[in-house]
Amino acid sequence: MTADYQAGSRVARAVDSTAARGLARALSRRPAHAVGRLITLAVILLWSLFPIYWALNTSLTTLSAADSTPAHYVPSPLVGTSYRSVFGIGGVSQDGISSQLGRSLLNSAIEAGGAMILTVVIAVFAAYAFARLQFRFKRTIFVSVLATLLLPAYATLIPLYRIMASLGLVNTYIAVILVYVSGFLPLAIWILYNYFNSIPRELEEAAFVDGASPMRALLRVVVPVAMPGIAAAAIIAFLLGWAQFLFPLVLTTDLSTQPVTVIVAALNQQRIVPFTLMMACGVLAAAVPGVLALILNRYIVEGVTAGSVK
Amino acid sequence: MSTRLRRQLLPYILVSPLLVFIGALSFVPTVDTTVEAFFRVMPLDPPTAFTGVGNFRALFDNPVVITSWVNTAVYVAIGVVASVVLGTAIAVALRRRFRFRGVVLALVILPWALPSVVEAVIWSWIYNPTFGVLNSALKSLHAIGGYHVWLGLDRWLTIALIEVVQVWQITPLSALIIMAALQSISPDLYEAARVDGAGPLASFRRISLPLIRPAVAVAAVEALVLSLNIFDQVYILNGIAPLGSSVMLQTYVTTFEDLNFGGGYALSLLVTAATALLSMGMLALLYRRTEGAVT
Repeated sequence: MTADYQAGSRVARAVDSTAARGLARALSRRPAHAVGRLITLAVILLWSLFPIYWALNTSLTTLSAADSTPAHYVPSPLVGTSYRSVFGIGGVSQDGISSQLGRSLLNSAIEAGGAMILTVVIAVFAAYAFARLQFRFKRTIFVSVLATLLLPAYATLIPLYRIMASLGLVNTYIAVILVYVSGFLPLAIWILYNYFNSIPRELEEAAFVDGASPMRALLRVVVPVAMPGIAAAAIIAFLLGWAQFLFPLVLTTDLSTQPVTVIVAALNQQRIVPFTLMMACGVLAAAVPGVLALILNRYIVEGVTAGSVK
Repeated sequence: MSTRLRRQLLPYILVSPLLVFIGALSFVPTVDTTVEAFFRVMPLDPPTAFTGVGNFRALFDNPVVITSWVNTAVYVAIGVVASVVLGTAIAVALRRRFRFRGVVLALVILPWALPSVVEAVIWSWIYNPTFGVLNSALKSLHAIGGYHVWLGLDRWLTIALIEVVQVWQITPLSALIIMAALQSISPDLYEAARVDGAGPLASFRRISLPLIRPAVAVAAVEALVLSLNIFDQVYILNGIAPLGSSVMLQTYVTTFEDLNFGGGYALSLLVTAATALLSMGMLALLYRRTEGAVT
């Protein structure tokens, strides 16, 4: 405990001193300006992070502390009981929350992951054709695919439900994944089309000189170079898939396929799950996309801004 | 010869999976919605029959549907204005290089990356009338005398607070789009303005604003499409009560709770048409002004 504390304070001191040095340097240049910038930065970070911090704070304390007024701004006492009961450790499991959450997280991973893989594979081939090859109706097809970006995603909700129902696919992974892929493809095509266009043609031409077919050139030369663009399309497709709610609310009916968003909404609707537990569930449901976004944020920035400035 | 044929066929082979997906799961359903909106479709009470504009008339005779349209207009107005203004402010504040800028950007993007359902559940706890931190913080700052019930009592307050949750989620997107445009502006322009004696505000108005207008248009259209179709946040924070209901929520209720598929189709068609018309109109408006500003 003390060792942890000392290590923690050493880190804190190190962070403090770097921050202080940076601050001093900034202040020495243009004091009023630097203070203004720091305040702006603090406000932006507070706005962006406070709700997330608040969920962590509540999930890490006891129900009586969370339900006390005025609010505690740091978790005191700091306990892991909420997470223990969500994971069902030590026999404190609550109404099967742990099994529901575990299974729905797995479902989310399968659905978002499956949609991501299928979207990227289909989009790489199609975007390459749009960017590099000549064929009839190319412009018409390209424009009509991108036009679906301007339509609301839910425009097709009811017919998609009825199509899946008539095929007997309601409450299957396949239905969810197919619907996601059809929704994510236009954006993935747009990102990859722009990325392929930024790659010099000379790279493939060198491969052609060596006798490679266009397909071989795509797989051996273009795809490796386009990895940042492919990563951008992939991470964005995965995040979009993980966040879906209305489509799975309609297309899935039980725990065998319901993703974590549907389960979190259902638990929240029961109004009997304590807020400490609810926040622990929320933190766990947001953990995968949150960590991915923090690690891969430069690909997200690249993907989101692809071609938007034209 | 066969290689030549293969080469000619290759593009079609490469785009065919895309065409199958978009055709079967986007175009066919869109056409289906357009057609079925004029039919009486009740899965539990057949038969299905042509009703002309019957579904639409029933929608406009329903006060709850009218309420949801007015509510949605307010969601859109708040959502577009707030996310574009905040997004521009964040973009301006974070556009230049500084220490830890990468970390700050990663943190700012976070609300965009998380599921809106989870975010809405978190905000419902923040807005909680008895134990919520909003009441507690405002009371500590002496901004309010007693605790308020934020959601479900006052219609406009409920809508505004629900839209805050969506604005919180989509603002990073606007910020990124506008920041990319700001960064593509040549520093020479600002330098020239500085030499001519223009202050920071003047150079923002005369240089940045005209040049980022296309990006602002894109951000505004994104916010428009998302807020016109707001569902998750309303479902969690308002439930299916008419008070804060949105058109998309009403579409869901009509279709999957009342099992009136025809009504759902009609409402869905109206939302789609409204989204397409408004977004194209907004794009045209903002783009034309850009050209005017540049020339």
